Amino acid sequence: MIKVTINGKEINLEKAMTVLEAARSAGIKIPTLCYHEQLEKYGGCRLCLVEVERMPRLQTACTLMVTDGMVVRTETEAIANVRRSVLEFLLINHPLDCPYCDKAGECELQDLVEKYGPATSRFKESKRKVTESLEDPVLVRNMERCIVCTRCVRMCEGVQGAAAIAVIDRGGHSHIEPFSGGKFDCEYCGNCVSVCPVGAIMSRLHRHSYRPWQLVSETETICPYCGVGCTLVVQVRDDVIKRVVPRIGTAVNNGLLCSRGRFGYEFVGHKDRLTAPLIKKDGVFEEATWEEAIRLIARRLGEIKDTFGGSSIAGIASPRCTNEDNYVFQKFMRVTLGSNNIDSTARTGYAGAQAFIENIFGQGATANLIPGLSNSDAVVVAGGDPTAMNPILGLQIRACARKGGNILTIGHIKGLRHYTPVELRPSLFSEDILLEGILSALKDKKGLPGSNQILEGKIKDINLSSAEVTRVCGISEKDFALFIDKLSGASNAAVVIGKEVVQSSGGSYRLLLLAAITYLINGRVYLLSERANEQGLLDMGCAPDLLPGYRPLGYAEFRKKYEIAWKSPLPEQPGLTIFEMIEAAKSGLLKAMYIMGENPVFNMPNSKEVEAALKKVDFLIVQDIFLTESARLADVVLPALSWSEKNGTYTNMERRIQRLRKAVTREGMEDWRIVLEIARNMGSKMNYEDSENVFFEISRVSPLHRDLGYEEIEKGTAIYPYKGEPLRSLTEEIRTEKGGSIESAGKLYLRLERPLFHSGTLSRKSQALVNIYAGAVARISPGTAGRLSLKDGDIIRISSGIGSLDLPLAVEKAVEDSVLMLTNNFEGRGAFSLMEYSIDPVTKAPVIDGNVVTVEKVGR
Amino acid sequence: MFSEAAKKELQEIRLRYPNARAALLPALYVAQREFGWLSPDAYETVSDLLGVPKAIARGVGTFYAMYKHKPAGRNIVQLCTNVSCMILGAERLVDFLKNKYGLEPGGTTQDERFSLVIMECIGACGTAPAMLVNDDFYENLTENYIEEILQRYK
Repeated sequence: MIKVTINGKEINLEKAMTVLEAARSAGIKIPTLCYHEQLEKYGGCRLCLVEVERMPRLQTACTLMVTDGMVVRTETEAIANVRRSVLEFLLINHPLDCPYCDKAGECELQDLVEKYGPATSRFKESKRKVTESLEDPVLVRNMERCIVCTRCVRMCEGVQGAAAIAVIDRGGHSHIEPFSGGKFDCEYCGNCVSVCPVGAIMSRLHRHSYRPWQLVSETETICPYCGVGCTLVVQVRDDVIKRVVPRIGTAVNNGLLCSRGRFGYEFVGHKDRLTAPLIKKDGVFEEATWEEAIRLIARRLGEIKDTFGGSSIAGIASPRCTNEDNYVFQKFMRVTLGSNNIDSTARTGYAGAQAFIENIFGQGATANLIPGLSNSDAVVVAGGDPTAMNPILGLQIRACARKGGNILTIGHIKGLRHYTPVELRPSLFSEDILLEGILSALKDKKGLPGSNQILEGKIKDINLSSAEVTRVCGISEKDFALFIDKLSGASNAAVVIGKEVVQSSGGSYRLLLLAAITYLINGRVYLLSERANEQGLLDMGCAPDLLPGYRPLGYAEFRKKYEIAWKSPLPEQPGLTIFEMIEAAKSGLLKAMYIMGENPVFNMPNSKEVEAALKKVDFLIVQDIFLTESARLADVVLPALSWSEKNGTYTNMERRIQRLRKAVTREGMEDWRIVLEIARNMGSKMNYEDSENVFFEISRVSPLHRDLGYEEIEKGTAIYPYKGEPLRSLTEEIRTEKGGSIESAGKLYLRLERPLFHSGTLSRKSQALVNIYAGAVARISPGTAGRLSLKDGDIIRISSGIGSLDLPLAVEKAVEDSVLMLTNNFEGRGAFSLMEYSIDPVTKAPVIDGNVVTVEKVGR
Repeated sequence: MFSEAAKKELQEIRLRYPNARAALLPALYVAQREFGWLSPDAYETVSDLLGVPKAIARGVGTFYAMYKHKPAGRNIVQLCTNVSCMILGAERLVDFLKNKYGLEPGGTTQDERFSLVIMECIGACGTAPAMLVNDDFYENLTENYIEEILQRYK
């Protein structure tokens, strides 16, 4: 026990801490500027100076550790004098433009000067003049206001790990600048904005359009973008979102955000939002009332069900919609329409990968806590860049590296390039061989643990010498040996698996190899998830073979329970996957389709074929917030409320259920309510008052969610395995399918770029994100550019077997040779319009890594 | 781009330090020698070769006055104008350089042959005025003597 006396108050401390932390724990305030609880200590601003008995000078409370018997005074006349002087110096160059500074009202410098003075300045000379930098699309840098506390620099380098800004020059000329001196050209997380105590780095969105004290409401909710599930605080004025900020102490992101979370909210009040139901008459949309639209749908679906049976109707659920939306949707499909044809774009990777991993390790194997990543001693990353797909999870990997953990990447991962002691960059299509090699080497080094016989049966068959591996993969033996050395020495390892693993030929075999590696190092698996509620929709039973609670539909005893709960017989046959739906639609077997919050025409590979298939469906309903590519094909379009306009819950990739809250008011209905209205028009007795009511039913029906309520979810205790029962292990035979050998020499392969700033069709309606990343660009490596005689900035025509696109070219070192990277985010220019796919027979995910394209220069 | 020799030198420098950041100062010095000044390209090259983020490299470089952040001539003239040199006519020499060569303090001649830096005391007060041309030291300067010296540098 450490005893400290601060301002005459005796404080007993369990563990060592700084004087500042001790004072705060006792409710004593010490003013600070450079100190920030998320950042490394700095001791630069001198505002936290305190008197300590038996120490000769004033001491910085933020860096001084307490000792037993220490006597501290924090507010004496001498201290007040010093603080006044420090502030007087800071104000020498500070412009005092508070009347039009957006920070005024929440400015730490303003508050401190108000408290400690000086009211006047003795400085008569002229102030430093620096023009405000508006060169950046989302960040404004005002270096007159900067007090060089370096919080932003410490945030950028020490926490975010981007190291995009630094203190430039010295002494009175010191200021903060990105490398270019103007545009930040960084990860645009905006965490520098969060920590800036003054108005030196600020967001450009809604600049000069509100004062902080005018933000009438603050709502804590969950980010709509990726599967990490960060908590956001949405600040609103006049029913417009003015700002999104993080909050320190929240479970997943703890005061940090990424670019999409912080700047990607403008889609909510976008002018293109759908406002009324649309009914297509003679090929033209006409606005209709809700009553008309719902009645028409009920009638048509009823007719189709009666004539062709429930199995002629399919539904696509949404990984952006809430658990409640998805639950009601699948119940409507199964009970009212009698169809198990329910699936989602989770099928493009996450669903199959999770099922595969859980079959080996048991249910919940991927439900690992994200912050735990930073405590690992080794993290293997395969199949994509976590710092782009799931940025806040990526930060935990960087934090792991800073704590001394080894980040071991398979392939070049741009966002982790400064963090990895060794990256193995196998030549194209040799990733399987590399994984086999890693597995063989680990097996030789560590032996088999003997706890999973089925898996070990598979591992025993894989034997590859390191000489063979390094030769085939084109990597150095030294790097390979180092990789194995670091990995085999780990006792608390994690394996992070991205979507590219699943979408490659032989994806299931690759998953097996990664699972086997995880098994040998006794690690944990993290499955990257691109959408906010991909996990939740699976848990809600939005899959052709799953009932709510992740219960397999194929078992009669499970089905029975739901039949009793829902008071209705259920179709026995598993339904169609999303890809099978497209096939069925093409062949005319599907008569009606109901798409909720998804845009398959854009978000599925071979988009033209998907479009053609949807056109053949007799009756297509699309429920969305924008008139998307898919919605344009619909017979009826239903406008839904979007994220931040409704209540509900999301389940993130660690299977934490979190509460989504309404922040702005808009007329309209939640997705589940629209579905409910249709169901009731078809004679269903389903009824729910609000989203909590829906969740109440979920907690009664789904054994996994048993006895779970909004109260627990809000308390933050809804963490897997909740209070219910996960499914006991049902390990079946592990089936895999190896990829065929592919000859890559001289060819160019189209691969999907998954950028940090965009995600599907939502981000392209958020102006700030569009300003950062404005349009589709084809990216190739310098080597490939040389081989094809192309230059950065050329306009090229990319042609595949199914189409062609003209796009500007960027030559970038981070791209693999013989690969052309293209995003699938921009209307009419998506990579999926050029990609054909085949279906992996085990994971049912699309295989898209073998798409050959040709390019030719068409302009500059 | 760096010459192969400079790349090799950088790798050797790197090995003398426990981590890449510690090697920044000598590495930037090599870059300055190779490029003449620390251009954005020079910073990026050093950043790539050492694996240090480029903004950090620039933050370090801009702290020190002896790294140059704009293009300089082939030869650097550093003239002292501190007290002793000033009393003995250094300011006249500054004018001379301006009139004869068009060389302003902090500037570069049009043919990029010389850059002029006004420097503080170089400890030659007894033999003032004094200057450095690149790493060579000259004292007891006069207009004629300067003209003669500068002829040696092309």
